Amino acid sequence: MCSIGEDDFGDEGGAHAMVAESLPAGIVLSTGDCTKCGTSSSELYKLNFRTPECRACFLTYVRHKFRAALGAAKVLPRDAEVLLVLDGSAESLVLLDMLHFAQTQNTFKRLHCNARVVYVEDQALQERDPVDVESLQALSRQYEPFEFHVIELGAPPSSLRNIKDYSPTSAEEINRLGVKLEKLRSLTARQDYLQQERKNLIASVAQQLHCSHVFESSISVDLATQLLTAIALGRGGSAALDVALLDDRLAGGDVKLLRPLKDLNEQEVQFYVHAQRLKPLLKGRLRYGQERGETASLQNLTSAFVTNLQQNYASTVSTVFRTGDKITSNTHPEQASCFHCQSALDSQLSDTLLAIEYSRSVSEAGVSLHKNGEDLEELARKRLESQNDLCHACHRIQMELDSVVAAADDHRWAEHYKRALPYGNRR
Amino acid sequence: MPINCKSQCGNRAALKRPKTGDALCKECFFAAFEAEIHHTISSSNLFRRGEKVAVAASGGKDSTVLAHVLKLLNERHDYGLELVLLSIDEGITGYRDDSLETVKQNRDDYQMPLKIISYEELYGWTMDRIVAQIGRSNNCTFCGVFRRQALDRGAKLLGVDSIATGHNADDIAETVLMNVLRGDTARLRRCTDIRTGGGEDSIPRVKPLKYSYEKEIVMYAHYKKLVYFSTECVFAPNAYRGHARAFLKDLEKVRPAVIMDIIYSGEQLRFKDTVKKPVRGICTRCSFVSSQQPCKACVLLEGLNRGLPKLGIGKKSKGDRMIAKQDQELALRERANLVKNDF
Repeated sequence: MCSIGEDDFGDEGGAHAMVAESLPAGIVLSTGDCTKCGTSSSELYKLNFRTPECRACFLTYVRHKFRAALGAAKVLPRDAEVLLVLDGSAESLVLLDMLHFAQTQNTFKRLHCNARVVYVEDQALQERDPVDVESLQALSRQYEPFEFHVIELGAPPSSLRNIKDYSPTSAEEINRLGVKLEKLRSLTARQDYLQQERKNLIASVAQQLHCSHVFESSISVDLATQLLTAIALGRGGSAALDVALLDDRLAGGDVKLLRPLKDLNEQEVQFYVHAQRLKPLLKGRLRYGQERGETASLQNLTSAFVTNLQQNYASTVSTVFRTGDKITSNTHPEQASCFHCQSALDSQLSDTLLAIEYSRSVSEAGVSLHKNGEDLEELARKRLESQNDLCHACHRIQMELDSVVAAADDHRWAEHYKRALPYGNRR
Repeated sequence: MPINCKSQCGNRAALKRPKTGDALCKECFFAAFEAEIHHTISSSNLFRRGEKVAVAASGGKDSTVLAHVLKLLNERHDYGLELVLLSIDEGITGYRDDSLETVKQNRDDYQMPLKIISYEELYGWTMDRIVAQIGRSNNCTFCGVFRRQALDRGAKLLGVDSIATGHNADDIAETVLMNVLRGDTARLRRCTDIRTGGGEDSIPRVKPLKYSYEKEIVMYAHYKKLVYFSTECVFAPNAYRGHARAFLKDLEKVRPAVIMDIIYSGEQLRFKDTVKKPVRGICTRCSFVSSQQPCKACVLLEGLNRGLPKLGIGKKSKGDRMIAKQDQELALRERANLVKNDF
């Protein structure tokens, strides 16, 4: 996914990113006039498709994107209770800083809401060092009066702690989530499952803290990747909500997830981090299982594909992201929703899913299917209807949990194909 | 340890189906593969008894398998269809001339009448000459646009009720991905439809292989020893589609079921009311179906005939400017001629 600072940031966070050599490309350390306000500045910010501007003008511009995203859609009621999700990445710090700034402005421009922050700790699953509690506490002091809380991914929502009372533990529940993940055969299913679990956890934390709105720090490249991933996972019907400004699936609609940074790009985040001297707690934004390489899961593959294509076709991310803007979720009134991900279930039988089930039935019947051809469709139909409380994608996860499919066979098949088929002549 | 066929027929499995992960022997695979296509045809009501159906045949594996299976099912399940082969000769030396030989072989093998229509006779241009004009970039635009219309023209000539094309599940999934990457909502809406077109003014296209994996089609053709042509077009393949294709192949390696999931996703996508829908109309020049006025084929053809091959490529405003400039020059020359005549 995002590779901001992955190479730049050492152990001391973004501190050494401030030396001249590792400045983000586009920031020029030379005296010149800002084309916006005309004042002379020793540091000019040159974004793609924009003229060089001074720090103050740059900050105004980027912060406006954040305010405009919330303002134009009128999604945040006055004095709403907001929960900001911090994951230690540069993006989440940018969001924190922008929200803090928006709260400290004068009454006329102030963003009227009451914010809390929750840090979601997932080091136990990711097998990396726990977050530095000191730097987290330093953040909470820097961004007063926000209340900071910490929750560990996998732990029950009741183990939510205020930052002042928090100390890293190795709770049994976290292991339980780890064990459940281990049961899933593919990394694809694990990542998908974890993403939903994370959302569900955030929803219950929000309810516990009486927050009606949650702020998430996804930027455009994250959302472009998310859209393609959702399509690959068979979540087309709900993909629109995965990338929209407002996602209302959390806690049955009681908690609304907002993505106010959705219009920001990587460069703007880099510049903002530099301009405000922010220190990300983590190197880059590492997802669970990302270290296993591009071909380990559909999610990793999609993320790498978007990044690579973006290098050759500069408008890839923005085009995909804008496609996401044009779609809407496939919902009907009085429609049941998925038990796990809360997406709306299909209102009518899908021909494609029926075709998959039919394939399964005919494969079982083999040559004898000519005798009972009609019954097979009935069988497929029944099977499809029996999975009625999970959406198709969540059902795939469930299937991996249920049966340890003959995974050991896989390599034998690879051998078989090498011998049996002249695969070179595929189109 | 050898793996046994899932159907418990007692035979050893010969392959593992990518769609479901089931291991099947050769005979059970044939039965399953054919039954699925029959299921697709009957559950979507693709054909009606007594219809005349053109199979769009290129000589490649998809259309060869399609022709073979349609003939087989037509006899087995008594669809009552009259099947004909329809081929388009784009005029690509070293590619289409060879593949048409394969189609002729199919014609003899399956006892189906064959109609070949060439770009030369329809448009007065072969792809070889078009490429000589425009070069290796954008040539696939011409070929694709012309072929789509040529199929319509051929079908009208043959008087068929529908055209069956060999688009397989991989092709459709790839198109879904590509349309998302290009932000093409108009095509995204209809690319997963099993039947497109139809109505009073056009001949419907159907995709009986919509749920058949490319891998299975290759295996079917291989085990059935069908004759097909498997060379890539000599002109550079479409670069952007290539990215989507490579991506899909990588995804398939990770999770073979992904192809069906992408088709399913594509079908489930819904669009905001604010997104413009294309309106299907009739081209005023050639009176074939088009959502633009005039249709793309007419614009491209006009470009070729005017000696401005880039006319239909890129923005319409640019094309308009090109035409205006050329008209102006022509008018100037004409006036110069007039002056000369006066003397």
